[in-house]
Amino acid sequence: MNVAVLGIGLCGFTPTSTGLSYREMIAKAAKMAYTDAGITIDQIDGAVTVEEDLISGYSIADEYTPDQLGVVRKPVYTIPGDFLHGIGSAVMQIQTGRFKIVVVEAYSKASNILTKDELLRFAFDPVYNRFSVSPHYLAGIEMRTFLNESGYSLEDVAEVAVRNRRNAIANPLAAYGGDYNVADVLGSRAVASPLTELMMSRHADGAVVVVLGTEEKAREFARKPVYIAGTGWASGNSIIERREHGVSVGTEIAAAAAYKEAGIVDPAEEIDAFFVSDLYAHRELMHLEALQVCPCSAVIVNPDGGALGGGDLFEATGGARFYEAVQHLRGEAGATQVEDAKTVLVHGWRGLPTDSCAVAILEAEGRNHE
Amino acid sequence: MSRKVACIGVGMTKFMRRAQESPGELTAQAVNLALEDAGMDISEIDAVCLGTAPDAFDGVHMNGDHLLAGAGGTNKPYMRHYVGGGTGVMSPIHGWMHIASGKFNTCLVICEEKMSPCNPHPAGAFLTIFDRVTEQPLKLTLIHIFALEMARFMHIYGYKEEELALVSVLNKHNALGHPAAQIPEDLTVADVMNSPLLSWPVKRLDISPTSDAAVAIVLTNERIARAKKAAPVFIEGVGFRLDTSYWCSRDLAYPNYVALAAKDAYEMAGITNPVRDIDIFEPYDPFDYKALHHMNGLLLDKTGKTVKDLLFSGAFERTGSHPLCPSGGAMGVGNPIAATGLMKIAELYFQLSGQAGARQIQRPIRRGVAQAWGDLMQVGTVVVMGSEGAPPAKPTRWSTMKREDLPGTPLKAVEDVPHVADAPDLSYAWDNGLGITTYLEGLKKGKIRGSYCRRMNHLMIPPRAFSELGNLDPVSDYFDLADTGAVQTYTISHVDWDSSPLPDGRINIFAVIAIDGAGEHVGLVHLLGEVEPQNVAIGMRVKAVWKPAEERTGSILDILYFAPVKGKAKTETPKRIKPAEMNAITARAWPGKIPLTYKYTAGVAGAKFYRDLAAGKLSGTYSPEDDTVIVPPAIFDEFSMEMLDEKNAKTLNPNSGVIKSFTVVYEDRGGHLLAKPVVIVQVCFPEAEGSVFGRLDTTDVEVICEGAPVTLVKPKKMHGPDQVVFKLK
Repeated sequence: MNVAVLGIGLCGFTPTSTGLSYREMIAKAAKMAYTDAGITIDQIDGAVTVEEDLISGYSIADEYTPDQLGVVRKPVYTIPGDFLHGIGSAVMQIQTGRFKIVVVEAYSKASNILTKDELLRFAFDPVYNRFSVSPHYLAGIEMRTFLNESGYSLEDVAEVAVRNRRNAIANPLAAYGGDYNVADVLGSRAVASPLTELMMSRHADGAVVVVLGTEEKAREFARKPVYIAGTGWASGNSIIERREHGVSVGTEIAAAAAYKEAGIVDPAEEIDAFFVSDLYAHRELMHLEALQVCPCSAVIVNPDGGALGGGDLFEATGGARFYEAVQHLRGEAGATQVEDAKTVLVHGWRGLPTDSCAVAILEAEGRNHE
Repeated sequence: MSRKVACIGVGMTKFMRRAQESPGELTAQAVNLALEDAGMDISEIDAVCLGTAPDAFDGVHMNGDHLLAGAGGTNKPYMRHYVGGGTGVMSPIHGWMHIASGKFNTCLVICEEKMSPCNPHPAGAFLTIFDRVTEQPLKLTLIHIFALEMARFMHIYGYKEEELALVSVLNKHNALGHPAAQIPEDLTVADVMNSPLLSWPVKRLDISPTSDAAVAIVLTNERIARAKKAAPVFIEGVGFRLDTSYWCSRDLAYPNYVALAAKDAYEMAGITNPVRDIDIFEPYDPFDYKALHHMNGLLLDKTGKTVKDLLFSGAFERTGSHPLCPSGGAMGVGNPIAATGLMKIAELYFQLSGQAGARQIQRPIRRGVAQAWGDLMQVGTVVVMGSEGAPPAKPTRWSTMKREDLPGTPLKAVEDVPHVADAPDLSYAWDNGLGITTYLEGLKKGKIRGSYCRRMNHLMIPPRAFSELGNLDPVSDYFDLADTGAVQTYTISHVDWDSSPLPDGRINIFAVIAIDGAGEHVGLVHLLGEVEPQNVAIGMRVKAVWKPAEERTGSILDILYFAPVKGKAKTETPKRIKPAEMNAITARAWPGKIPLTYKYTAGVAGAKFYRDLAAGKLSGTYSPEDDTVIVPPAIFDEFSMEMLDEKNAKTLNPNSGVIKSFTVVYEDRGGHLLAKPVVIVQVCFPEAEGSVFGRLDTTDVEVICEGAPVTLVKPKKMHGPDQVVFKLK
């Protein structure tokens, strides 16, 4: 069964969002998405919210999800994952045949979390991996292994940070566009060698809401539907002592599943743009390798600026890329528009200390859907 | 149309107050048993989904990813889902989606909860389920919200405490036949009534215990199920509904969200008359009254008459016409939140496939329903399962299971084994937004404020900037309301937010108060004062008692409490006001903190690691599956999901380490610059797979390189990652 994107909405992305509660921020994104989808709330069959307790600051954060989406008393559940895990779950939900229109939501009030590194550290195994130093140590360990095993240089990694921030300059939604050079990145403050400050994405606030539905509903309501041709998600080993740190096995498996579903054989050839998690610059390269794409080829990666340019939105990070991907397929991405984009890939990673990743392949109306 | 989905195997650990196993180890034990029961290998599992409720129990942020290896999720599609206490029955629904969508043929579904690491008491994790601005300052905990709901339920349906205690007696008795049961017992109603009063009407024996446990089930499509099992049990219907988080604006006596979820599940299962069409019931019973509260919803009877008749006629007994919680439920088996719901699903599987042993219903049964509930009294999850006919009566692993056969090592105290303590600093400042800023400004002025949705003709407290029931319409009508109202329900509490007794025999009376001028159920929760506990009654008229104006700060605590209205108080009519003007000064943030600390057992394998380390030794575990030694030691292999034998520990040379990767870290755990950088190394050992992470004791960061040999340093007798230190050779 084909599942389509009927509408998209967002609020953000900015370093802080004082003046809007998380509820007000999400309600704004939801109203925008429903309007874009051409639906009213009574046509919604359910919602998937993507949240983590301690990022939301609540125990059982899913309590505080239904109101701002207007879906009180509807089927609603929460996925702690990247936004794309939520997309994967909602697609399955629709494909059961018992739900026609399902909403997916994620948000970040990162500016409201005063101890972000303490929080990240709290995600590490308390018995073996929670040191009294910055939890970004694992990014340093991982980046060094990746450089040793892959043949990429420090400069290649720095290039990613430069390119994504430069792309973000033209993107009105991005929080952290800027003109840097490779020397700026390499010479920025050391955090956990070889990782420097400019190789890390900075947090931002924002909310993303997407309306998914059956093809039939898309034709009935949507202004410009976009189709989900394939989804996949997978996780590498959570025991970091026994994980291969030079590769993203989670991405490899997720991508293989999504490619198979979408019938994609040569990703670099068949996919017009890749929106890939770049929470750390080396991760973009690692993810592209796992997506079977050579970053040196002429492929377009994160034309919107990615998370390095747009901001780390916690669970909503993949949502920002998803929003941009839909804009590109609709030809409505403004200055960053990829010309004639027909098929795009969106990738999300949960961030440290995981290798949990998800992939969605989106297609503009036309291919395989006439 | 959806594909059919069947359950073909179950695994679980003992339910325990305190387990020695780490969360991952508990999970792996349940998974290993479920796979064995289904006659499957982990390689035959296409996808894994996991349910666990708040991260604050296990004490790990992103807990789903922490449990991944134990859940068998390594290198697989793996997803966690949750709906608070409703998670356990949401889990098979999420698993059902995986298969019914056609995307996967098999799905392993696991629920885990390890509540014991959480200090000062697991109940403390519930302080932060309440709204951070309007409710948390009152220091509420879960027992209070239950007590408030229980009192309202008793009031509306006319139950006496003694009658609700019947459920506690029944379930704890039923649990005597359950191999995993934590607190099975033969009790009398008098025992329940005489147990310590915690927060009237809740007494100690009205409540389920806190527990550590994991439960796993294997779901497959119809073809695989029929190939593997003679009598698979099918998921016939699913439903899940989530109500508003504004719980003081809701009918607390009847669970509409459960009824709606049940209707969805019944429609899918083709059930038109649940009283007639369902043979066994496993409603969620974290408190005794909850089983009845939920049964009203499951039987779609808002009058409550059906459930009362069944209760008083003995129909809920295991030998009766409508067996209730034949497993023993949360009250008897235990309540490791998410795992409890999946235990109920397991019970349907056991009963419907004839494997329930001592608990088996002794008549043909075809269909059962399990339900869980949670969040702020707001979510209902419902699954209907069915078998195709009379199951075989021959004994199976599960029909003959004894408690001692189940995995899990109960502990008396965490201090009895190697453990690691941690006190995370989780601090926040929450943007209040227009609605709450307007509310807080009102409180500072001695006013309770609301806003009005024109579409729904609905006055909302606290004020919202949008209407959640009215199409998300923006709201522009704000009012100062009366500070008088009527008590909807109340509880007389003897316990604090962390379950400790209130000092000096003090009591707190919490009440939900419907504010005059707002809708029937629209109000807020607060304290009552200037009233003797025995004089409090539902319907009582009360008025806010405010702090002096100069002491008010813009907080719910600007109201000291609500006191009974003496004589005839005039009711003020709502007065229209201008909402807060948002600017850089008024848009202030509300402080937040997670006030918990943790003591983690090192787990069975971790205990070995730290005991060895204290002696300057290092060991791995031999895995016969792939003939390797893995380090750090483990009780399971995360790829094969086979359990590893502790006796297969293999001593490694602690001086044979080689640096695999390293990083020089310039910031401390909170992100502040370190005076002196710290080196973290990943060290491999030639005789073992895996590695050990630790600090490198060095003064010269320039000489470190990959491949450099290191030795393990014998630490002080403390446990924890910071005690793992290497030295360059």
